[in-house]
Amino acid sequence: MKRILMAAAIAAVLPFAAQAQTDQQLVKGASDTKDVLNYGMGYNLERYSPLTQINKENAKKLVPVWNYSYDDNRSEESQPLVYQGVIYVTTNSATMAIDAKTGRQIWKTKVEYPPETPRIVCCGIINRGAALYDGKVFRTTLDANVIALDAKTGKEVWKQNAINFKDGYSMTVAPLIADGVVITGISGAEYGTRLFIDGWDAATGKHLWRTYTVPQKGEPGGDTWPGDTAQHGGGSTWITGSFDPELHTVYWGIGNPGPFNAAVRKGDNLYTDCVLALDPKTGKIKWYYQFSPNDPFDYDSVAEMVLADIKVKGKPTKVVMDANRNGFFYVLDRTNGKLLAANAYVNVNWAKGIDMKTGRPIETDVIAKARAGEKVDLWPSILGGKNWEPIAFDPKRGLAFANTLNMGMPYKAIPADYKAGEMYLGMDLTQGWIWPKDKNGKDAPRGYLKAIDPLTGKAKWQAGSDMPRFSGVLATAGGVVFSGRLTGEFEAFDSDTGKRLWSFKTGSGIEGQPITWEQNGVQYVAVSSGIGGVYSLFSGDERLKDIPAGGSLWVFAVQK
Amino acid sequence: MALALTGVALSALSPSSVAQQSAKVPPDPPPTPKQVERGKQSFAIHCSHCHGMNMVSAGDVTYDLRQFPHDQRERFFESVTNGRNNRMPPWGDVLSQDEIADIWAYVLTGGKR
Repeated sequence: MKRILMAAAIAAVLPFAAQAQTDQQLVKGASDTKDVLNYGMGYNLERYSPLTQINKENAKKLVPVWNYSYDDNRSEESQPLVYQGVIYVTTNSATMAIDAKTGRQIWKTKVEYPPETPRIVCCGIINRGAALYDGKVFRTTLDANVIALDAKTGKEVWKQNAINFKDGYSMTVAPLIADGVVITGISGAEYGTRLFIDGWDAATGKHLWRTYTVPQKGEPGGDTWPGDTAQHGGGSTWITGSFDPELHTVYWGIGNPGPFNAAVRKGDNLYTDCVLALDPKTGKIKWYYQFSPNDPFDYDSVAEMVLADIKVKGKPTKVVMDANRNGFFYVLDRTNGKLLAANAYVNVNWAKGIDMKTGRPIETDVIAKARAGEKVDLWPSILGGKNWEPIAFDPKRGLAFANTLNMGMPYKAIPADYKAGEMYLGMDLTQGWIWPKDKNGKDAPRGYLKAIDPLTGKAKWQAGSDMPRFSGVLATAGGVVFSGRLTGEFEAFDSDTGKRLWSFKTGSGIEGQPITWEQNGVQYVAVSSGIGGVYSLFSGDERLKDIPAGGSLWVFAVQK
Repeated sequence: MALALTGVALSALSPSSVAQQSAKVPPDPPPTPKQVERGKQSFAIHCSHCHGMNMVSAGDVTYDLRQFPHDQRERFFESVTNGRNNRMPPWGDVLSQDEIADIWAYVLTGGKR
């Protein structure tokens, strides 16, 4: 009798707790294996799970459990979230809640945006995911709106417009909730815009603060832009930041300066290609570190700033790390921004290294010539040593797993005229790419999934692919690393050796961010399939004609 | 008298004049090399982020303009001016008909120049 009453009492309490994700739950997200409450699987963006049920021995027995169709044929780059048995996931045109066990749709709320919107979306008609907090699901839209939906019903609670999209502003970013503030970034550095990070009140949507990433004259850093070039300076913010609740600091990566033609804007161009340490309540900049001053090469540092506690010279250190677009893997002290390590992790020819005293690149004549308007062969290309696809970090093994790119490009700056709503680049976009060849002159892999030592940039192992992987990576304590190919295979690798343990062919190319969680004693892994991102838009790779579009969500578990 | 009037009425409804009313297609001289070059640069800035660098768009994701029929000029102008299928955005408020003609001149090269 007592046991039944207890169960009834718990059941009565659960509905109230069911939808109200709290600050404390978000802080503990990285170790909450029953849920996936955060973008990046935790505020640290490590994309690492402590789960061990799926391991090196049984990964070969992974089988699909269910598949859910997005009814969308664009690139599926979203990271799903999981809370109490419900998956929350986004596409460019909808937000969905799906029963995690059965794959049945609970609700779907469509997103409409004006037909002109794709004019100003440079790199894929996408959305990268939602955020959960206090019973609500938050997401951004391509026409620069931030929306809060009721997590139970999908009904809109509030909607705020950040800015008129027509001049080149767009949002694809998954919001970050830190200290009760909804924090969003924005895209548009290719369109001569001046960009920012916003903070919104989670309950009401009230706009709390806006921090511009490109300062005006008279503001700190404003003297790094000549004339009024800051007005079109770029500085995009479209990858979700990380958060250290103890230091009360948000780390946000900042994107490229505009136009690409660097001669137009002589100076360091702060805070483009920087990491900013911010106060989440006020948006105030605590410190910054710049990866690529006066960058001509679109080396966006808008990327996941991964937080980890590692030993540096024998001493436990709180770090922030970044596999930067510019080809160097950086490790900084996240308490003060001090540079601890910076090493090439791919082929780099625009700099010999990073000066550890000044923190600045030791530039070669490749970048000097490029700035002067000469045509150069550039490595890595403007897509970078790694593009948007996020890394995973295994804190036990001390390895960062990254989908790296192995490609260069002929680069030439050309004159650029600013026109509102148009691309403002000043770079010749008709020259194509430099594809890698092996010593026999045959095509070499255009990408490698690498297991990188953060303090040296060296790869312990690498798994090549004909076409680069543009999918996120997931690492687990079971010793398994997951990622997906543009040809559609979702793969599992041995974290220590890189040996491929398992593969499953999905219906389209994979550009999604895999997650894992445990429900009723079973560990599940999920990833979206659906091609349409940067490589398919810009590479000109004719093999893509045999990869159909078509978005869906796949869930796998080990067959009993 | 009635026949002549009918003749006039029929010619007023001929396909080419209907097309001119909907997309205001300018007259059709052969493209000049300068037009093709202008079109190539205009394509790079306005179109390549969806239709591919140098018009190479091999997959399912966006229409491969290398396949666009070269005898369907009006369809091209209509799609670019007004958008299509809720995927192709309209450009009529941003690009003039002459600018669209430049891009059409480039499309006619099949991306080979």
